[in-house]
Amino acid sequence: MNPLLYLMLAYAAFWLISFAFIFSIFNRQRKLDEEVAMLKQLLDQQGNE
Amino acid sequence: MATTTAKPVATKAKAGLSWGMILSVLSMVMILFGLYMAFVFAPAAVNLETDVEQYSQRILYFHVGSAWVGFFAFFVTFVAGILYLSKRNFVWDNLGHASVEIGLTFLTMVLVTGAIWAKPTWNVWWTWSPRLTISAIGWLLYIGYLMLRSAIDDPARRARFAAVFGIIAFVSVPINFMAIRWWRDIHPAVVGSGAAEGQGGFAMSDSMRNTLIYCVVAFTVFYVTLLYHRMQLGKTAHEVETLKQRMLMGD
Repeated sequence: MNPLLYLMLAYAAFWLISFAFIFSIFNRQRKLDEEVAMLKQLLDQQGNE
Repeated sequence: MATTTAKPVATKAKAGLSWGMILSVLSMVMILFGLYMAFVFAPAAVNLETDVEQYSQRILYFHVGSAWVGFFAFFVTFVAGILYLSKRNFVWDNLGHASVEIGLTFLTMVLVTGAIWAKPTWNVWWTWSPRLTISAIGWLLYIGYLMLRSAIDDPARRARFAAVFGIIAFVSVPINFMAIRWWRDIHPAVVGSGAAEGQGGFAMSDSMRNTLIYCVVAFTVFYVTLLYHRMQLGKTAHEVETLKQRMLMGD
C-alpha cells in the first residue's frame, strides 16, 4: 500500500469540499443576480403600464 | 430597457469585486503556503513507527485549522443571534446564516479528514468516543438550523427562530472542546496537551507548533473570505425578497 494514500485522501477531501462550497456560492449568486435583473425588468414594465 | 435595469446589479458586483478578489487571492496564497508548511517545513513525527502513520500525521495541520474555523463560525452565529434579537437588524441574520453554512462546511472537513487519519492510526474509520460523538451531534444540530430556516417563509419569524436556535446550538461547541478533557477519550488533545487531564496528548516541536499556528491563521483568513462572499449572496437574496414583495403589492 502507498504510505501517502491517507495523506493524499485527506487533502483531496479538503479541496473537494472547499471547491464544492465555493462553486455553490457562486452558482447561487449568479442565479440570484439573474432573478434580480428579471424582477427589476418586470417592475419597470409594470410601472410603464 | 432590459439592459438598463440589469445595470445596477452588474455595477454592484464590480464594486464588490475588489475586496472579494483581494481576500480570495490572499486566502488562496495563504492556504497554498500552508500546504508547503504542512508537507515540507514541518518535520516528521519521531515517535511514529510506520511510514503510513508518519505521513498521515501531517493531516493534523489542516484538520485542526478546519476545526478552529468550525468552532469560530458557530461562535459568530451565536453572537449574531444575540445581536439580531436585541437590534432586529437583518444584517445579523445574514451574518449568522452565512457563518453556519461555512461552519458546517469546515465541520464536514473535520469529520472526513479525521476519519481518514483515524484509519491508519486507530485502525478504524470511526469510533463512538465522546469527542467524535459530540462532533457528529453538533454537525446534525447545524443541519437542523438550515432545515429550520428553509421551513419558515416569513423572514422576520425565520430570523428570530434561527437566532434562538443558533444561540442554543452553540452549547455543543464548548462541550465538544472540553470532551477530551472531561472524559476518557481516544482523541488526542492538541491544544493544551501538556495538561495532566488531557488524554493521549502529544508534544510538538517548535516548527510543528509554528506550522499549526500558521494554518489556523490561514484558515481564519479563508473563513473571512468565504463569509464576505456568502454575505453578498445573502444581501442579494434579501433584495430578491424585497422586489418580489414590491411586485405583489403592484408597486
